[in-house]
Order: sequence, then C-alpha cells, then structure tokens
Amino acid sequence: MKKRLLALFLTAGVVASMLAGCGGSSDAAPAAPADVAEAPAAADDAEEAPAEDESGEVTNFTMFITMPGSEINDDNEIAQMIADKWGVKVKETWLTGQTASEATGTLIAGGEYPDFIDSDEMSLLVDADALVALDDYIDQYPEFRDKWFTKEEWDKFRQPDGHIYWINPFGNTKGETKQTTHNDEAFWIQVRVLEWAGYPKIETMDQYFDLLESYIAANPTMEDGTENMAYTILCEDWRYFCLENAGQFLAGYPNDGSVIVDKTDMTIKDYNTSEDTIAYFKKLNEEYNKGFVDPESFTQTYDEYIAKLSTGRVLGMVDQWWDFAYTVNDSFKQSGLDQKGCNYVPLGLTTKEGMENRWHTYDDTVNQASGIAITTDCDDVDKAFKFLVDCAMDQELHDLRFWGVKDVDYNVDENGLYYRTDEQRMNWADTSYQAKHRCQYSYFPQWHGTSDDGKNANKPEEQPSEFMVDMAPPLKACFDAYGYTTYPQFIGSVQETNGPWFPMYSFSNNFTTETPGGVAWAKMGECKHEWLPKVVMAKDFDKGWGEYMAAYEACKPGDFLAEMQAILDGFK
Amino acid sequence: MARVKKEHKKIPITMKEMKRQSFLMIVSFFMVVYGIIFYYWPLTGWIMAFQNYKPKKGLLGSKFVGLDKFRFLFEDAVFVKAIRNTFAMGLLNLVTTTIMAVLFAIILNEVRKLWLKRPIQTISYLPHFLSWIVVTGILHTALSASGIVNDLLMRFGFIDQAINFFAYPKYFWGIVAFAHCWKETGWNAIIYLAAITAIDPCLYEAASIDGADRLQKIRYITLPGIKPTFMILLLMNVGNVLNAGFEVQYLLGNGLVQSVSQTIDIYVLKWGISQNDYSLGTAAGLFKSAVSILLIVIANSISKKYGEQRLF
Amino acid sequence: MNENVKPQKVRGTLSDKIFSVIVFVFLLAFVIITLYPVINTVVLSFNDGIDAVRGGIYLWPRKFSMKNYKTVLAMQNIWTGAKITVARTVLATVTSLIANALLAFVVSRKRFLFKSGLSLFWVITMYVNGGLIPVFLLYKNLGLTGTFHVYWIPGMISAFNMLVMRTYMEGIPESLEESAQLDGAGYWTVFAKIISPLCKPMYATIALFIAVWQWNSWFDAMLYNRMKTEYTTLQYELMKLLSSVMQQSGSAENAKNGAATITPITIRAATTVVTMLPIICLYPFLQRYFVTGLTIGGVKE
Repeated sequence: MKKRLLALFLTAGVVASMLAGCGGSSDAAPAAPADVAEAPAAADDAEEAPAEDESGEVTNFTMFITMPGSEINDDNEIAQMIADKWGVKVKETWLTGQTASEATGTLIAGGEYPDFIDSDEMSLLVDADALVALDDYIDQYPEFRDKWFTKEEWDKFRQPDGHIYWINPFGNTKGETKQTTHNDEAFWIQVRVLEWAGYPKIETMDQYFDLLESYIAANPTMEDGTENMAYTILCEDWRYFCLENAGQFLAGYPNDGSVIVDKTDMTIKDYNTSEDTIAYFKKLNEEYNKGFVDPESFTQTYDEYIAKLSTGRVLGMVDQWWDFAYTVNDSFKQSGLDQKGCNYVPLGLTTKEGMENRWHTYDDTVNQASGIAITTDCDDVDKAFKFLVDCAMDQELHDLRFWGVKDVDYNVDENGLYYRTDEQRMNWADTSYQAKHRCQYSYFPQWHGTSDDGKNANKPEEQPSEFMVDMAPPLKACFDAYGYTTYPQFIGSVQETNGPWFPMYSFSNNFTTETPGGVAWAKMGECKHEWLPKVVMAKDFDKGWGEYMAAYEACKPGDFLAEMQAILDGFK
Repeated sequence: MARVKKEHKKIPITMKEMKRQSFLMIVSFFMVVYGIIFYYWPLTGWIMAFQNYKPKKGLLGSKFVGLDKFRFLFEDAVFVKAIRNTFAMGLLNLVTTTIMAVLFAIILNEVRKLWLKRPIQTISYLPHFLSWIVVTGILHTALSASGIVNDLLMRFGFIDQAINFFAYPKYFWGIVAFAHCWKETGWNAIIYLAAITAIDPCLYEAASIDGADRLQKIRYITLPGIKPTFMILLLMNVGNVLNAGFEVQYLLGNGLVQSVSQTIDIYVLKWGISQNDYSLGTAAGLFKSAVSILLIVIANSISKKYGEQRLF
Repeated sequence: MNENVKPQKVRGTLSDKIFSVIVFVFLLAFVIITLYPVINTVVLSFNDGIDAVRGGIYLWPRKFSMKNYKTVLAMQNIWTGAKITVARTVLATVTSLIANALLAFVVSRKRFLFKSGLSLFWVITMYVNGGLIPVFLLYKNLGLTGTFHVYWIPGMISAFNMLVMRTYMEGIPESLEESAQLDGAGYWTVFAKIISPLCKPMYATIALFIAVWQWNSWFDAMLYNRMKTEYTTLQYELMKLLSSVMQQSGSAENAKNGAATITPITIRAATTVVTMLPIICLYPFLQRYFVTGLTIGGVKE
C-alpha cells in the first residue's frame, strides 16, 4: 500500500516537473498561432514553400466565431492548399458551452483578441475599440466594393462614428440565381397527400387542413401500420418560430420577423394581434380540439420532433427547410420512405384565396447586425483583408472551399458541369472527412448563384443536377404534375424588391434591455412562449385568446413597436 | 460508534501553546493566503452589481447605478417566481437525493456477498457520468405519451388515457427531483459508504450476541455511525438550495410549464447574460450568496444547539 | 440464506429473511433503472447515425456501426487532450488531496486556536462567487491563463472536500493523538503516521471526487486556453463535438447561416462512452478501500 502511494507521489512529481519544463519552453518559443502571426517568417507548417504566393510565406491567423461549429484539423488538406496558394491559414475556434455574449465579454475583459472575429455582439466590440475600421481597406479594392454590396447596403453597416467595422459574409448572389430550394419558412406537406388528392392547388390554410383531415380519414395508417399524424408543431425554445410567426406570412407579408411593415403608409404593425394571426390560431385550436394536431406538440424536444418526422407519419407542419430537411431527408432515403412519398414540399398559404404571398424571398437578405471583422490585435491587417477579399473574388478559392478538390470531391462532365457521385456526396457530409479534408472557412465571404464560368452553381446544393439527381420517384412525380422544377415554385411568392429596411428582425435582434422597447421585446417573447400553446390547447378559444391578450398587453408591446417605427422612419 | 462529546475547556493562549501549534499555524497561514487570492479577491467583482458594467470600461470605470439592478430584479414578478421555483426545487432535490443516497448506502451495506455488492455499486454510480442532455433525453422519451411509463400505467389500469407529463406544471418539480435521484443516488452514496467503513465491526458483533436483528442493527449502529457525515452534508447543502441549477430545468422545461420551471439561473441567463447585462447576473449572484450564508448560519446554529455537527 | 460471513451463529429469524427479500428487490429494481440509461447510451453509440434519428432504439442496435467511434477517435487533438487530461487528473488529485487533507487535519484539531475561524473562512468560499470576468482577470494577472497550471492551482482546495474529511477525522479517537504526542510526536507526525492511515477510505473517496471532477472539467480549458491547442483537454475536445446541441440560446438567423450542423445523437453517445470508460476503470482500485468494513486499528478508547 505504501509503495503504491509512493508511486503516485512520484508520478505526480514527474508530471509536475515535466510540465514545468513545458511551461518554460513554451514561453520562450512562439508556439501560439497568434505569436506566429507576429513573426511572419516562422512559416511553421508549410514545408513545401508555395511558389505562387508573392511573398512565399504563410501567415497564420486566428478567428473566433460566436456560433457552435466543427473545428477542422490543423493539417486539414484543403486548408493547406489554400495556404500554399493564397498564403493564409486561418485557425477557427467556435463557441463552446457559453453564450455569445459571455464569450465576447470575457474577450473584451481580457483585452486579447483573435485576428478575425464574427460575433453576435459586434456593438460591444466596437465600444471596446477592438475592431479595425475597414473603410480604407474596402476602398483599396474597388472591384470587391462594388460587387459585394451596393452603396446603400454598405451604408447600412456604418456605425454611429461613420465607419464600417464588419462585413456580412452571407446572402449574396452572383450572376444568375440558382436557388432550387426554399430555405425559409413554409407550410410543408408530404407528396403522398398531394398525390392521393390528385395534386390539387392549395392556397389557404383551410384548404390545407381540409386536405390533411380527409387524407387521415381515408388513410388512418401507413403501409406498415404506423398511425398517420396530420400536423405537428415544434415549439422548443428559440425554435418556436414554427408556431409563432406564420401569421405575418398568412397575411401576405414577407419575413420581417418581429413586425409587419405596411409599405403603403410606412408604418410598423404588430402581427401578434392581427386578424390573420387570430384566424391562424383559431384554426390551430379547432384542429387541436378535433384531434388532428399532435398532442405532444408543445412538449416535444427537437430530437423527438425530428424522430417523429423521420418515421414518415407526419403529414404536415410549419418549419424552415434547414431546420429539418437535411436530417429527415437522409433518414427517408435510408429507410426507403422517400419511395413511399414521404418527402415534403412547401406551400405558400394565405388566409384567403387569391392573395399574394411573400413566404419566399428572392432577393438577397442583407443582415447588417453581424459579420466578419478584423481586430486591433491583428498584426497584418493588409494581408488579412486581402484574404477576405480573395475569398469573395477568387472563383478558384471559392470552388475549393465549397466544392472541394476536382476529381476527388467532384467531377466535371464533358460540358464543364460539376457533378458528384454518391460516395463523394457522402464523404463531403462526413464529420471526420470534413475535419481532415474539407475547409469551408464558412464565415468568410461567399456567394450563392452562378460561378464565374457561367455554368456551375457557387454552392453544390444549388447545382441543378445535384438537386434533381436524388429525387425519389414520388417527389419527382409531384414536381412533374405541377410542372415545377424548383421548390420556390410551389410557393409562388410575388417577386419584388424589399425595402432597404428589410429584414426588420436584424434590428430587433440587437435590442437590449437598456431601452424600454428592448425590455418589452424580451417580455413579449416570454409571454408568447407560455401563452401560444395554451391558446391552441384551450377548450374555449375566445376565452383563451382574451387571457393571452391581457398578458400580452402587460408586456407593453407599444414600447417595442414605437422603437421599431423610429428605425423604419430612418428609411423614409 | 462512541463519540466523545467535546468539553469546552478553554485553552489558554500561551506562548508555549502557540509554539506547540506552530505547524498548524503555518499551514493555516498559507491556506488563508491561498483562499484570499483565489476565492476572496475575485469578490471585488461584486461591485458590478451596483454598476452598469461595461467590459470595456472595467470595474473601475463603469458607471455606478446604486441599487438599480436589484430593483429591476425584485420589481419583476417573473424573478420573484423564479426565486420560489428555485427554492422549491432546491429543497425537494436536497431532501429526495439525500434520502435516496442514505437508503441506498445502508441497503448496499446489508449485502454481505462481495461479488454482488461490488458490481451493484459500480453500476449505481455510472449515471453520474452521463451528461444531463443524455439523461433528460431518455427521461423525456420514457415519460412521453407513448413512452414506457404511460404504457405501464395504462396496462395496470391506473389511468385510461396517456398523460402528457410535461404539459402540466404540477408534475414538473417531481420530475426534476426524480431526474436528480436517478443520476446521482449511487454517486452520493459513495460518501456514506465510506463513512460506514469507519464503524467498528465489533459493535455489530456485540449487537448480534445481544440478539439484535438486522433492522435494529441499522437503527442503533449504522445510522448513528453515519450521522456526522449526514449532518455535515446536510448543513453544506442547505446553503446550496438556491443553486438548483438551470441545465435540467432548461432541458426538461417548455413554454407550458415555464411558470414553474424557470430558476434564478435561467432568469439570469435570459435577462442578464444574453442581453449583455453583466451587472444583473452579479446582482442575482450576490443575492444568492447572501441567502445561502444566512441559511447556513441559521442551520449551523440550530445544529449547534442540539449538539450536532457544525460547519464552523 | 446464510449471508453472514461472521463466524458467530446467527439465528435466521423470520424478520431477517423478509428483510433480505426486501433488500434484494430494492437493489434489483435500482440496478435495472440505473443501468438502463447507460446501456441505452452504449447501444446508441454502436448504431448508425442516420438510422438512429428515427428513435426507437432501446436495448440493442438496429443498424450496427463502428463509425461513431471512428469519428470521435479520429478527431485531431484528441490524443493531446487525453495526455493533458491524464496529467492534470493525476497531478491535481495528488496535490489537491494533500492540501485538503492537511487543511482538514488542521481544522479538526480540537485544541487549535483558530479552528472555528478558519472553518468559517473556508465555508464561506462555497457560497460566494465573484463571477466569470473578475476570475478571468485574476488568472490573467497571475499569469495562469495560457498555461497548464490553470488546471491544478486554482481549484486545489475545495471547502466541500475539506469539510467531509474533517468530519471523518473528528471521528477518530483523540486518545490516539494524545498518546502519540506524549511520545514526543509533533503535529506533522500525527498527521502522517496516525491520522492519514486511518483515513484511507475517506482519502479514497475524496481522491475519486477530485479525479472525476478534474477528468470532467472542460470549461477552464475553453476559457483560459482556447487558442492553446497544446493544453487542450479531452473533455474540451469532446465538448466541441457536442456544442451544437448544447447551444443554450440561438436564433434562426444564425442556425441557418451556420448550415446547422447538428451533432448526431449517436456521436453524442460515443463521446459519452469514450469519456466514461477510463474514469470508470479507476473505481475498482479505490473501491477496495471502502467496500469492506475497516477496523480502526483495533483501538478502543
């Protein structure tokens, strides 16, 4: 016993001295990537000196993104190729187990920043003088400046001091749009239901639920005996948008998120209390009491919801495409349910027939609230910014990030079109393959739309062949029956240019409790979380709605709306 | 186990006594220095509770707002409700997990066969290593309308229709307490099992000779033997009732039970941290610390009065 | 049922028999309930990821796959993390055990002048907390951030562990200490030669607590060594894998742009198993110290 204890002490001693050694040496040698940036000559891991880069040196940058994400390996293959050619390697670190605000707060308190940062709390960083004003750098690259944003768009990014500190890397389309999916919110319906009804035109919420009801009546179970379920609602935490904001769309307005903007007289309207929203919840309540809405709707977790959809038994729901489709479609494919018509297509419903709808946004949505920034701790802002521009302007780099390596991750057919085999597609989606091979630098500028070659899509998921290739026969039949080739056609939103204020949620997302409007906004959210499920489950809808409204008014929504109106007035 | 009641004989503070205790003094000195640096110095951060703290300006530069943050908290009915919920869940968790741990330790101690005892103990503490997200995930499935609990209840005729346990506030605290017991009973029992080893086996032998049955032995030997440990843990945990946490409540809660699921920590996360209001969280933390210290002072003096274990 | 190992003859009374049955039933139920989540996690970790999305996997994998483990173990830095984690666990367990035991010894001396004051000093530390930012600044000023030392120095003394040990030590008859002191032993000798050997079960327990705590820590690695991959820990690496499902507050806007990579539940399960396994192996070694009754040196007062 004594011996064992002694051994333990010895081990500890050895470990301690070993680490003391480590500590000492690491102080001497610039081991941290940030330090390497200081001494550009220390191109540590670029053994094969790249010939094409003018300076021949690789600069290592660090980046922190206040979103959870998957880290890539230090010896990631594509990252190395990019470093060889463009002379920059970025070590990305993601948010883990903290909120964006906590993480940003500690960074500021510590006063040490990564070279690049993309935070939800940009204004905090500007306050702390942590960011480099980018105006001059932007002007150095006129081609980039003019192509990336219009002048009005750039102006939206100007802070009160007149400078631009960050650039939103998302939501820009180059060339002809290749949009085949509807990434946003919609009422979704399984193609087997449409097939059963002979592919009818569904325009209103009443028609939608009538169809679901009659389908259930005729087909209470699936082939394997699983009971069909007409409609479910995801309501977990922030994902309760699946319940909450359909009212604005049903009334024919676009996704301003937190409010409705009435363009005729430039006023802010509250969709929470509008006629269309009442009609929407009344309908849900009616369906709930008839037993057509999943009774577990308001208590299910996201995992349970996805599991439910993956069994193929749910006929319809409101959701945004990215929130369910990737996982659920993979599952359908594996279990063969896609052959049975379980895939979902979107519908652009409104409260009344013949109304215009704006569920789908054709335009680019520029969110000025966040983006990529360069911090004052960055030692080579010129090179950092150049890389940022390269990401946006160099098609080869863009292809490498999003398509991968030619003949490895994708092939090129005789017409110059990119295509992928099943295996390539699976690799690309595989977690460990991503870590060692794929490098998207996903918070650097990127494009939707068409590549500079005029043929291919900038992103594989928008490539028409990619989209059509794995369509199961029932889904294909549905597209053919309606004569559609893309998902947005199912929605049939009107094509129009949104105002410069769009989307209004980019403003309300940045509200804090320092203003009365911000307090009201947060309270309204809390109140809706609690009351909307109760309203749907109420035995007496009018009574339930009345109680909800009383609680809602107590949150002082007027304060919030007034502040939103003031913002909108700025665009008059 | 025979414990000597301490007589309060005053030890005279003489130079000789001081010298005799020099080893103790030196150790204490270093420990106090350590404690001041790592535990007491960061308390300067409490200033934030009275400021409108901005990370850029730091502790010295931020604007003082007096008791504004406390006023914000206590004027909000939601926060007051959160205090109630935290208290209720903290207390319920404390009581149930303590009872379960003691019960389990005693029962396990009654198992005389080592080949049975060891595996059971190992199994019992495994759930401690599962994260809350895993445990709550399984619990959620088990309690769902089509889950095993409803299935069993219906099969044995207790209910005719599946109950959606998560839709009703009345079940929530119970579910949270159960989740804690499920995850931590075996782990918490370890301390009691260790305490039981300190009981002199002669006592059991003597009791056997006197004809005591097993229940009597538990009552007169095992229970008194673990009482000091039990008391000290109880005292410490009384101060922790306001730390009922947020992870479980966050993962199991939903809009329908919001009024009973929101704890102080969740409130702080939503209103303080997520809104960049660092001071609000500090104010809530300060409030919790004050209540905790008040609670243990009370509990400690009660315990002292009855001649039981004391924390200090 | 002759479960007594004791040589004395024991009458198998009826109540004892009933008692045995109750014990048996209780433990059986307990084992089943406790084992289930663990088994379910292990089973999921061996199931195909896409298949598991459908749910309904309980006691046996539906579509067997080793891919989850391959993914977890192929993660870069996981071996660096494992090394650092083992190092910090060993080092911190030893240093922290000694420090806590010493402190517990000091405050459990009945004659010690500052016994009560010192206890109070440490009790308070359990309930006060300056918050994330002041602690961060402190460590930064002490030069602990960006080093290995941040893992074992700050948490060395825990009032909880100390108090549990103190209680145990107070249960040791004072006469032992007194007789040793009569023989001329100082406090250090009393601590090392008299008290510590008797405290083995408690030391084992506390060592386990510290080891498990250290093993599971990841927040310090994330906060203080975020950019220092050479000091990453196993748990931090695994937390990175899990973080997308643990996200406490989110917004649709962000999730959409972030391509919403949700870590499959099967990877979550494999991660859990990888984390659990090594620390569980530690237990049997410690268990011997407190599963069997221990006679305190045969001392009678």
